[in-house]
Amino acid sequence: MRRVHVDVEAVVGYTLLTGVLLSLGLIVVGLAWHWALWGTLQFDYTLPATSVGAFIVSDVQQAATAAARPRLLVNLGIGVLMLTPYVRVLVSMLYFLFVDRNVKYAVFTGVVLGTLTYALFVG
Amino acid sequence: MPVPLTLVLSIAAGFVGAMSGMGGGVVLIPALTFFGVDIKRAIAISIVSVIATSSGAASAYVRDRITNVKIGMFLEMFTMVGALVGASLTLASGQRALFVTFGIVLLASWVSLWLQRKEEWQPPGSQDAVSRWLEFRGSYHDEAVGKDVRYRGTRAYLGAPLMFGAGVVAGLLGIGAGALKVLIHDLVMRLPPKVSTTTSNLIIGVTALAGASVYLRAGLIDPGLAAPVILGITSGAFAGTRVLVRLPNRVVRLFFLGVLGILGVEMLVRGLRG
Repeated sequence: MRRVHVDVEAVVGYTLLTGVLLSLGLIVVGLAWHWALWGTLQFDYTLPATSVGAFIVSDVQQAATAAARPRLLVNLGIGVLMLTPYVRVLVSMLYFLFVDRNVKYAVFTGVVLGTLTYALFVG
Repeated sequence: MPVPLTLVLSIAAGFVGAMSGMGGGVVLIPALTFFGVDIKRAIAISIVSVIATSSGAASAYVRDRITNVKIGMFLEMFTMVGALVGASLTLASGQRALFVTFGIVLLASWVSLWLQRKEEWQPPGSQDAVSRWLEFRGSYHDEAVGKDVRYRGTRAYLGAPLMFGAGVVAGLLGIGAGALKVLIHDLVMRLPPKVSTTTSNLIIGVTALAGASVYLRAGLIDPGLAAPVILGITSGAFAGTRVLVRLPNRVVRLFFLGVLGILGVEMLVRGLRG
């Protein structure tokens, strides 16, 4: 059976591309929907002071339980954007650990991931 | 602030930022504050938009195998912590201090770029043990000269703490601080210019995310302003990149220096006048 070679560049590049396109798509749909409903692109609301983790969890819970709203899509777009570099670091660490078996770089990306996890979800 | 105006400003900021190679934040923050947005809110919005522009550009450069992913991943350990420190400093700072710092950083970047405007990249003669252990090496295909370029980075032990400083500036001012990172890659670690620029782009995403987490926690991110800014700056950057590749290097460099100088003086004057 032919083995498909995947390198870290492809993994990182496509992770970033997917995250940015998904985020932009959610924001565009959210803004367009808001304009279709209210005839304006103006959103008048502010986010409470919160962690990135709490912000995303709250949006996902609302998406699952309440009817979707333009505002929710815009929030999800911003949340996906913020998670994009985080997911990039996570997949890089898994790549270095399991595919490249480069312990040194698995540790480096692990340090970045640990610090980001604390900043985004805990601290 | 009206959404159409925000969109126009962000598209212009993304376009000029990509054309000059500085990123949109350097133009966006002076523009937003000029129209009455509080500088801390402008910094917070800018740093979120920086995640979009840097991740978009990095996705292409990484797949083209120009970015050195390992060097980027090592250095972002330092820029990320720097951004957390920088963003916390912003929360504690007064408005005038931020304007003055913004102006000084832009003018300092102007001076360093002016001084090295005629310098050509020189590969390092030898590689130190630390950089060798960190696997600071790579190769890429240079379309301009039609051949593969092999390189080795050096002085990682000096580059790393300096990158912490670049991270502080990025978090403090809500910009990518790409010019600063490229300078460190070029002058200290002796990486080829294309590798410097593209690796800096990869690092900026994580650095900006660390800063954004601090601003979100402080309640400074306004989605009503962030959404059009993200869309505008990303589309402006996309268009700017398309124009950039058709322009001679000399024109790009002059444009870069012009924009940097004007914005630096403008922010400094606003900070000093109060």
